[in-house]
Formats: sequence, structure tokens, C-alpha cells
Amino acid sequence: MTKIGLEIHCQLTKLESKLFCSCKADYREFEPNTNICPVCMGIPGSLPLLNKSAVEKATLIAMALDCNTPAKIAFFRKNYFYPDLPKNFQITQLNVYGNTSIGWEGKISVGDKKIRIRRIQLEEDPGRLIYEGATEKTKLTLVDYNRAGTPLVEIVTEPDFETPHQVREFLYILSDLLENLNVSDPGLEGAMRADANVSIEGGSKVEIKNIGSFHDLEKAVHFEITRQQSLAERKIEIVQETRHWDDGRKITVSARTKEEEAEYRYHLEADIPWVRINDHTRNQLQTHMPESISSKKERYVSKYGITPQVADILSSGRYFSELFENAKNETNAKDIANMITTDIMGLLDTREKRETSKLNAEHLSDLVESIKSNKITRASAKSALNEIIKNGNPLQQIITDLDLGHVSDEGELSDIISQVLNEEIKAVEEAKQNPEIVNFLVGKVMQKTRGKADPELTLSLLKKHLGID
Amino acid sequence: MNLGISALNYVNAIKNNEFTVEEFIFESLEHINHVDEKLHAFLRINDSAIKNAKEIDAKIKSNQNVGRCYGMPISIKDNICIEGSKTTCASKVLENFISPYTSTVISKLHSEDAIIIGKTNLDEFAMGISTEFSAYGPSKNPWNNDYVPGGSSGGSGVSVAANECIASLGSDTGGSIRNPASFCSVVGLKPTYGLVSRYGLVSYANSIEQIGPMTKTVEDSAFLLNIISGIDPNDNTTIDNKNQDYLNNIDAGVSGKKIGIVTEMTNSDGLSTDVLDANNDAIKTFEKLGANCEQVSLQMVPYTVAAYYTITSTEAGSNLARYDNVRYGYEFDSSGFEFNSYISQARSKLGPEVIRRMILGGFVPSAGHAGKYFLKALKVKSKLITEIKHVFEKFDFLISPTVPIQPFKFGEKINDPVSLMMIDFNTVTANLTGIPAISVPYKITNGLPIGIQIMANHLGEHSLLQAAYALEKTVDLPEVSI
Amino acid sequence: MKSLVNEEEISEVAKLMKIDLEDHSAHIKRVQKMLEYFDILDKANVESEEITVQEIELDKLRNDKHIPFGKNLLKFLKSYQGKYVKAPKLN
Repeated sequence: MTKIGLEIHCQLTKLESKLFCSCKADYREFEPNTNICPVCMGIPGSLPLLNKSAVEKATLIAMALDCNTPAKIAFFRKNYFYPDLPKNFQITQLNVYGNTSIGWEGKISVGDKKIRIRRIQLEEDPGRLIYEGATEKTKLTLVDYNRAGTPLVEIVTEPDFETPHQVREFLYILSDLLENLNVSDPGLEGAMRADANVSIEGGSKVEIKNIGSFHDLEKAVHFEITRQQSLAERKIEIVQETRHWDDGRKITVSARTKEEEAEYRYHLEADIPWVRINDHTRNQLQTHMPESISSKKERYVSKYGITPQVADILSSGRYFSELFENAKNETNAKDIANMITTDIMGLLDTREKRETSKLNAEHLSDLVESIKSNKITRASAKSALNEIIKNGNPLQQIITDLDLGHVSDEGELSDIISQVLNEEIKAVEEAKQNPEIVNFLVGKVMQKTRGKADPELTLSLLKKHLGID
Repeated sequence: MNLGISALNYVNAIKNNEFTVEEFIFESLEHINHVDEKLHAFLRINDSAIKNAKEIDAKIKSNQNVGRCYGMPISIKDNICIEGSKTTCASKVLENFISPYTSTVISKLHSEDAIIIGKTNLDEFAMGISTEFSAYGPSKNPWNNDYVPGGSSGGSGVSVAANECIASLGSDTGGSIRNPASFCSVVGLKPTYGLVSRYGLVSYANSIEQIGPMTKTVEDSAFLLNIISGIDPNDNTTIDNKNQDYLNNIDAGVSGKKIGIVTEMTNSDGLSTDVLDANNDAIKTFEKLGANCEQVSLQMVPYTVAAYYTITSTEAGSNLARYDNVRYGYEFDSSGFEFNSYISQARSKLGPEVIRRMILGGFVPSAGHAGKYFLKALKVKSKLITEIKHVFEKFDFLISPTVPIQPFKFGEKINDPVSLMMIDFNTVTANLTGIPAISVPYKITNGLPIGIQIMANHLGEHSLLQAAYALEKTVDLPEVSI
Repeated sequence: MKSLVNEEEISEVAKLMKIDLEDHSAHIKRVQKMLEYFDILDKANVESEEITVQEIELDKLRNDKHIPFGKNLLKFLKSYQGKYVKAPKLN
């Protein structure tokens, strides 16, 4: 049986400041080495100051993943030399004097598979290395420390995944969960990174590092499984090792084992006392925890009568569930939900589109209302949506501007219908035999009216004209 | 002008217009010029000192609010950072390091109008007991220039003893304030761990070290402690002392107090008879002052030196890892080098004692050896803390000689690592347990000083200073001739 | 007592700590002596001890606020073209 485990690093991008200092947590807009201070640069004599909200947000993640959380948390030093580490040690968490990391032994469902969470820890991100220079000879290693000290939550799973697909599903669920908890924006570049470990039946565990994106993660896991299977088929031993994902060639390659068994000399970080998190705080966090995705889904189904399928889709993402919550009222919840899932999600399918969209909850409720009261057709609504997303104008203005008003005047419609019947002689003949063809003719009328014709009225008028029931 | 004046008397003299700040600073700088070439207490002098003095004189003249220090010259151990100036830790690897920020203790002194007259010499990165490990040459004991001044805050001790300044701030990890205080015949206080902010103190062993005052009198230490102590938002290990006034009631005496004579610190192999005699004398003095003295055993003391060096090497190995000369340090171009070989070469500029601690610090916490060394040392520390707690249920203070021996000649101890370590035998207990400890100058024997150490319970500085004051008042020591 | 630590081990540790030991022997002998002294810890009878730690309440920790350092820190450091820090190349 194939076993896959994950080690995911999520930046807590929703924090204002870094984990141990007051520099900005989101470093992305800064010129190199301008988001630094004596603390995150490890200047002699500087001391780390733990960010209270980081502990709270990390605890929320632990709770959302159903983990045990400790009464006291502690920090440790992981000692090694690397240019992106200003102190040449990383402040992280371990569980050697009892359980002192932010969470352990949790679980989450991926479809019908239960994935166990081994532990969750808070730690700091290192700086970034940039390579400049055309050839190997001229290459310089340059360091930008803006990211050094950014708060990270590391989530380590048990090797419970069996397929790359499950891994992908899990990542989507985790991304949404982090967004829902308002702790991280997983869409930001570099906000979420993952390493994997893979073993097949009877084989050793292989670690895969250096995976750049979630997209690559699935590919890397898939490749590695295939690689191991083909080795096993040829009765070649699968070596327990660390491999790197080569994004260029889309393969995993053996990492040079110059590190061997790395010796990190772990010891307590004495500059940070053990932090007591009392029951009162834990309860507070629990109550302030945003509604979980599953209870949101339940609420949508039971309170608003939304189908489980639609509720599933609606509840899994923060952007659309918020849009839904703000647009709905006592009577239109179902229609709002349907409009979101049928029309809007397709139009705003990327983070960029959602960010630049000018659509708001009022637009949405106006749209649904207008359709209900026959002011515009569903087809017109679609055109309206496109405009609203682009310029955010009120619906009434758009209806006027684009002349989207409903065509429900029987006389006007009849004229158009006559036109169509004249043009589509063949279809008319066939319609008399095959009622399905009537829909084709309805479509033609809609085309002529640019979607403004009332479809029901059109259908009944057409049938009348054709003399069918 | 009497440069040997205490801090409190200096303040009174300024207030009484006996002299101006500028005059005193000028004389101090002259004196430093005169004696420091030989004594080498200082690594650097503050060339804005006269300017600062003039500013304070102007404030005094125009009746503005003046800080408690009234421009007194204070020296600072060169492992405490001041913005815009060098902090070298007496190491070649920080030869060019200029700090971009100022330590909390210095900010506090500045806001009380102290004048930082210069940075003092130390054993490199505070690892040593004699300043013989300074990369810039040792400091000399003013009582006899052939003898070590103690360490690691040796330069600080010399600067105060030789009247080059009124007071100094040193740091104490295993005795580094108390040892030079004893060897130079000045007062040296290691506060309770967490009482004084470490923000700006270059870390050596961050779980146990503290900045503390080195002064001519016990009252002066109380005066400085009032200024530098207190909770600091920049240091999460600082604790609240509820604005204690350490000068208040300092002359209360020790009548009725119970003082424990630490058996293990007064009968060890390395203890010199002269030092033991001085200690016994001090005990008699305390009894005459109305205290009850009796023997008390601290069973863990024989293990404390090993535990101390194990723990501090581990922490030092980690705290000094950042000195790879990539971001700051000294001139050494990295072009053409590969990372590992560059930083190994850059770090080879570390002195021999620091290198040895780095090796130990890589060894004792490593996966295969941590159980035998590092983890065991942490447990010794724990057991010692419990033992000390019990002892202070019965006793108010503990007493011992500060150092088992008197100052020794340069080169005498430097080649025997174990006997070097044993010099810390009486002092490391206070660091490992976090309790406050003070060295009070008590005797001059064979022309060399002997200090007595008094320890009190956690946050017990107020009564500790009372006991130290009482003892100090019974002695009338000769002046050092410089 | 015979030293449990040999030259090779000490050299390995020196490499781990990024110390270039040209003249091994001087340091190695002293380190061996110090380690031998640490054997005294075995006699301390502390197996059942728990470690002692300092503690702090969650609400005493630093509030999550962005406060820029306010000075050009890079000016105090070794910089490359005033923008980056140059590191020796990695293998």
C-alpha cells in the first residue's frame, strides 16, 4: 500500500508583524533588506519577542484540525549554518520535554478518508537567497532578509494519504480552512509550501523537498510513486533518502547527502519563557473560531433549504460564502446560492478576478430580485453580471445602459417569433414532429432579443404559433 | 580633585558646586591618559564625553531637570551595545562591528544623565576569569600590575579601582562581575536573573547571565541598581521588582539575621588559607553585628562547575554561531570562497578559549552525548534550585569567599583548563539558580585584595545590600596606589 | 581516566561548529581534559529530576503591531550594491 505523508509550511500572512519582532509579516512589497530590524537580523545583543497573535492564530489552526493543545508552549533552537539564517539557528518547536508545540494528534477528513495530523508547530521563516550572474563562474549568492522571521505554522501529517489525488484534495481543504480562519491568505506567492514523504509497499520512505507549488506537489508525488514502483518491479532496492523536485525536468533527483544525519543540537530557547495558555484563553479562542466549513454547510442545508451539492461548493470558500451571507435574506437565499454557484463562480474563478471584481452583495440581491419580478431574464442577468464585475455600476443603470429590459410584450414577441419561424422553415417542420426542436426555436428568439425575451412566454407563444401543445 | 569619590558623594559635590561636570570629566580623562596605557582597562574612550559634560553643566546652570547621575563618568564592558559605536566583545571577529541600536541599560543611564566615558576590556566574549583571553591584550591589576585583575569584566573592575571612572557596568555569567570585584577590591553585584534587562548585552549564556554594577561602595551599587533594574518590553525574561528602592533603609543592619556558611565553598581543595582566614574573619564580624552564622551544606555544589561549563558551552555554541562575518564583523572579502570554507576561515579568528568552548558546545548537546552531559547538567541545575529554595527557608543569607584564591600572576593558570574552571567554584551557584550575589571588598593580604561573597534569595537584593553595607562599614581598606 | 573522546570526534565537531582547526593537538588535549572533568556529572544522582523553566502568561506577550525599525539598518551591515547582503557561494 502506498503511503504518503506531508509537511506543510503556512505563513501566517494575516498577522501584522513577524513572529519575534515588529517588522511587517507580509514582506512582499518591500525593497530588499528594508523590512528588517536588529531582532530579525540577529544583531548581537538582540532578543526575540514572541507575537501574541501568532500564538492565538496558530492555536486556532490546531483547534480547527482537531488537535490536542498544550497548557504551556515552549520554543527550541535548531542550530545549523546557512546564509539565509541570520542567527545560524532557527527558533522552532519540539516535543522533548512533554508536549510543548502548538498542537498534536489531530485529524481532518478528506472525502471519506481520515488524515491524522501528527503535530503542528510555530517557527520562523528564513530569508531568501537570490542568485545573480550569467554563468556558474559569475554567479553571486545574494541574500534578502525581508522574509526572515515571518511566522510559519508547520503542519506534519501521518503518512495516511494513499493517492496523489487525496493529497490535492487535502491541500484545497487546508487552503480554505486557513482562509476561513482568517489566519493566512494561501493564494499569496510563497505563503504555502510543502514537502512530502513517499513509500510504496515494502519500500523505504523517501523524502521529497524543494517543491515550489501545490501543483508541483501532486506531480512530484505521482512521479515518485511511479519511480518507486518501477524500481520494485525490477527488484531494485528503494534507498531511504532525500530527493529534490527538479521543476525543469519534472523529476525527483537524489539530493547530495553532504548533510548526512544533520546534527541540530536542539536545546530550549532561553530568551522565550514557556508561555502559559490557560483554559479561559482556549475557550475564548474556541468561541471566536469562525464557523467551521462543515457546520456552515449544515446550516445552509437545514436553514435555507439549499441542496447539499450547492451548499458544499458554497461553504468551502471564504469569498463566496461571505458574498452569500451578505446578499441573502429570508426569501431569496436559494436563488442567491444558485446564482453564485451557477454563474458567478465561473466568472470569478481566479484570485485576480475576485480582487478586481466590483460585484458586491447589493448587486447580487438586486439581480435576483429583478429576475424574480421579471424585470430581466436570466440570460440578460448574465450580461449584466459581466458589466457589474467590470464597472460596479448599480443594476438599474446597467439595465438601462445595455437595454436589458425584459421583452414581455406579447405583441413585440409575436413579431419576433414570426420572424424566426420564417427563417427556420426546416426547424418548424421538424418541431411539429419533435417537441424538443421547439427549444431550438426558443433559443433563436432569445438570440434575436439578445436574451431579453421572457423564455416562458416565448415558449407558450411559439407553441401557439406552431399549433402544438 | 578626588577622583576616588563615590557616586553619591560625587552627586552631592556637583549639587554643592564643588566642581563642574566638565572639570570632573576633564580630570578623569587626564587620569585615564596617564594610567591606562599601563593598566589597559579601556578599549575605547568616548570622544564626546566633554561635549556631554558641557551639556549637563548647562542644564544644571539653567535649573532644568537633571538626571540622578549628574554627569558622573561610568565605564561600560565592551559586550554591551551603544548605537553608533563599536562593540567588539574583545574579539577580532567583531573588530568593525558598530551597533545600530542602544541597550536598555545604557538608555536608562543616558536618561539619568550619566556620561559613558568608555568601553572596557574583557575576556573575549566574556569567556574567562582574567582578561588574559582578550584579543586586544589583558588588563592589569592596579594593586600589582604583574597580577590579573580577574574576569571576565576585568577592565570594568580596573577602571573603578584605579579611579578612571566612578562606576562601571559589567556582566556576570559564572562570576564575571564578582570575580574581578574581589580581585580589584571593588563592590560587584550580580542581580537576580531577570531583574536587569539583557537587551543589548551580547549573549554568551543567555539562560543565566545578567548585567550588574561594579562600584566603589555598596550604596553606589544600590544607586545604580535603582536606575538599571525593572521590567523591559524588549526582554521577555525580565521580571517585575515593583519599583523597589534599593537605597532605602540600606543601613538597617543584620541584627537577628541567619547567615549560612556554605560548607562546600569553604573547605574545597583549591581554597587558599589566606582566603579562608579572611572568610572566617568576616563571619566573626557578622556575628559581632548581631547575626547568627552557622554551617550549611549545599550538596550539589561539587557538581556546579561541570554543570555550568556544560550548559554555557552549549548556549555559547549557539549564541556565537551568528559570527560568520557575512553580515558584519571584520574586513575579509568573501569573493571566490565557498560558503562553508569561508565561514570556517572567518571564525578561525576567534580566540583559543572561545574555540574550545565552541567545540565543547558542539559536543555536549549533540544527539549521542546530550544524555550524559547536557541533559544531566540541566538536571543538576534543577536539583540545585530546589536545594537553594530549601536553604533560604531557614537562612536569610549565604556567605563564602568570592574566589577560592587571591589574584594570580599572568600566565600562571592559563595552561591548566581544570584549575581555571575551578576558580568559578564559589560563584556559579548564584548564576545557575538565578539568585542575587554580591562581592564586598574585605581584606588586603600580601598587597592583594580578597572579597567576601554574600548571597540572598530570589529578588532579595534589598536585604542583600543591607548585609553588604553592614559588612563594608566595618572595614577600612587602604587606597590603591596607582 | 581514559578519555572517551578521540581526536577524530573532536575534528568532526569542529567542522560542525565551522571552526577551521589547523593545529588540532593543542585544542584537542585541553578539550579532552575538560570533558573528562565533566564525568563528575555521572555521580550527581539526578536521573529523576525534571528541568526547571521560566514561564510567562500569554497576555504579557508583544502585541501584533507593525512598527518599522525606522533606520536604514543595511547601512550598518556589509552590503552589496546597497541592496543585498553578499554570501559566499553555496555548493
